Order: sequence, then C-alpha cells, then structure tokens
Amino acid sequence: MQTTPVAVLGTLAEFHKEPIPYDMQALIGLVSDLRPDLLCLDMTPEQWQQRNFGGLPPEYREALLPLAYQTDIVVAPIAGQHPPTEPSAPGWRGKTIATLRRWLAYLQRTAPGPDAINQGLRHHTADLLYNLNTWLAGKETRLAWQEHTSHLTQAILDLARRDPGSRILVVVNVQHCHLIRNALKKYPQMQVVKYSEL
Amino acid sequence: MPVLTNLIILAPYALHRDAWQALLTLQPGIQVSGAVENVSEAAESLIPDQANTFLIDLVNPQPEIAQELRSFAPHSGLLFLVRSYELSLVLPLLQAGATGFISRDASVGDLARAIIAAGRGEIVLPPEIAVQSLMALAQAQPANQARSEQLTERESEVLTLLAQGHTNKDIAQALFLSVRTVEAHLRSIFAKLAVNSRTEAVLWAVQHGYGGRK
Repeated sequence: MQTTPVAVLGTLAEFHKEPIPYDMQALIGLVSDLRPDLLCLDMTPEQWQQRNFGGLPPEYREALLPLAYQTDIVVAPIAGQHPPTEPSAPGWRGKTIATLRRWLAYLQRTAPGPDAINQGLRHHTADLLYNLNTWLAGKETRLAWQEHTSHLTQAILDLARRDPGSRILVVVNVQHCHLIRNALKKYPQMQVVKYSEL
Repeated sequence: MPVLTNLIILAPYALHRDAWQALLTLQPGIQVSGAVENVSEAAESLIPDQANTFLIDLVNPQPEIAQELRSFAPHSGLLFLVRSYELSLVLPLLQAGATGFISRDASVGDLARAIIAAGRGEIVLPPEIAVQSLMALAQAQPANQARSEQLTERESEVLTLLAQGHTNKDIAQALFLSVRTVEAHLRSIFAKLAVNSRTEAVLWAVQHGYGGRK
C-alpha cells in the first residue's frame, strides 16, 4: 500500500487586524522550500472556482496563492463551507472568550516567524486557548467547529485516495491542527509528518 | 529539493537583459544562468541534464531564431515574448520549434509559470489561440492512424486538457492531482498512443477530436 505523506501547518489566520510581525516572504520561503505537490487550504471549492479570495486571510491571499500560481504547487480547497463564526457567549463566558482572544492575538503579534506558531509552547498554548474558547461558547459552536474540521479531514483523505503518494501540505488555522493530525493518523495510508520533514 | 528551471535570457538590449535578470532571479523555481545578446552566445549558458528555457525578447522574432536555437538545444523550451497572440506570428514560430509565447501584458506570475512549463518541453499557449494553433499544426502533419490502446477515463480527461493547450500544471490544477501524477498519466498515454513526444500526442489528440471536448 502506497502511503501519502501529509503535514499540517497552523496559522492564526483570523487575526487579520493584528499586525503580522514577520515578513510574508518568510512564509513564501518556507512553503517554497517544502514544495508540496498539493496545498490544502481552508476555502470552499466555490471560492476557488470564482477566484473569490477577498475574505481569505492574508497568509493565503498574499503568500500561498501567488506562490502556488507560479509554481507546480496545486491548490486544493478543502472546506465544505465558510468557517463557523467566531465563538461568542453572553455574560462572564463572553468576557472570558474576549480575554482569551486577546492572548491569542498577542501570540500572533509576537510570533517571530511563520513557523513559530507551529512549535513548542506557543503552538500548544494557542491550541488550548482555542479549545477553551469553543468550550465556553457552548455545544452548538463546538459542534459547528467539529463539523468544519471533520470536513477538512475528509477532503484531505479524498485527495490522498485520488492521488496516493503525493506530498500534501495542509495550511489551516492552528485550532484544526491537532484534530486533523489525530484523525489522519487513524488511516494507515496516511503518513503524518512534521512540516519540516515533508 | 525543488527542481529548478534554468533560464537563459536572449535580448539585444543590455537594459532589458538586466531588468529580466533582476526580476526573474527572485522567482521561486527559476535560476538565471545567462543573459545574452545573440544566439551565438547562448549555448554556453545551457546546463546539461536540467530543464532549460530560453526567454526570447526580440522586437520582431523570426522563425530562423527558433531554428538556430533548436540546432544546439533540441530539448529546451523556447519562450517568445510577443505583443499579441496573432496566429500569423505564432504559427511560423511554432513550426520552427518555438514551444511557447507570453504576452508583454502578462503578469510576473504568468511569466514564471510559463518559463517553468516551457522548460519541461510543454507547449505554452493562451487558451484563446491554443486550439486554433494546434489544429493548424495538426493539419500540416500526416494523420497518425495508429490504433491506440484503450485510454482510462482519467487519461482521456488528461488528453482532452492537453489537446486544449493546457500545461501540466493547468491539467493538475483542473483535476486536483499533483503535477507528477499528471506526468505519469502522460507517459502512459504516450505509450498507449505509440507516440514519442508531447507534441506528437497533442497532434494525435487534436486530429482525433479531443481538443473540442469539454
């Protein structure tokens, strides 16, 4: 059985309004060096077909899509629909979510490079903060995010089934990273690796 | 490590050569090995066993240039910069050995992907003239009536896109497959059609009606 190597790279993509402290060229350089065969992005097939990139994060718009366009990297839109709305809740839970989001924004602001959010304490802290946020927002929000992640995972599996052995890089919000990696590890045909080992 | 396409710029004016070199050195997947004034200097910049593309920036590109370059670089991509995609300009150059054309109005991204595709020996034509040009080329060739083995559904899809003038990257993107997988399909198609090159496969496909399929 041919295995398909896949790496998942996280971003704090929704913090558009936070200044991104690193040069976008660093992200271009990182992905350009990896040169995956397929680049899976959290966008819908409709957004891709219509080239409707306006609402996408700058990491996609300014770095990954232009890079893929002029190289052999093939873009695969893997979202079933737009990501669920940001977690929110009334009362103390809402205030706590707002505080946690400020911490997440701080992580983005202080990231020295695009790989910083994928390593060590920063990566796990971001993951924890997102989990807390969805937990605080309630069951409905949690299920919506789970469903979104599940669709992303399924789309990656479909791509691997159609094109086994291709090197797949998934670039999504960091909150999906652990879930996607854990889900893919259950499939013997998928070889989940660190992005630096792709 | 990513495979680099080796680029040789052929332009008569020094300022143009320097400008192309400065711009294209920055593009991922491309390394500029030379910028020369005329064809006689170009051979030295070829790198053996690597994808080579000539970017040819001439005011009035003549078929003789393509023939001269073909004489010492039979497998290299010959990419001509053109003001417009007129069939009367494009066709003689294609017949003389050109592999692609890029408009002076194109974006840097378009140019970079054309350089990479041409280096692989692909025909780089905009969709609006690809089918016309390929049909005109095919009409000039004797029809290849060799019977072909049955193509798979995926191979038929690939061949249809090939006959419409798409590059490997375009085909891969349309089918959400890796470029390497598309290349594997093409090798299988070439074997089944009993052809030796991409150009022969394209002409076979156009002659057998693949270019018009949707």
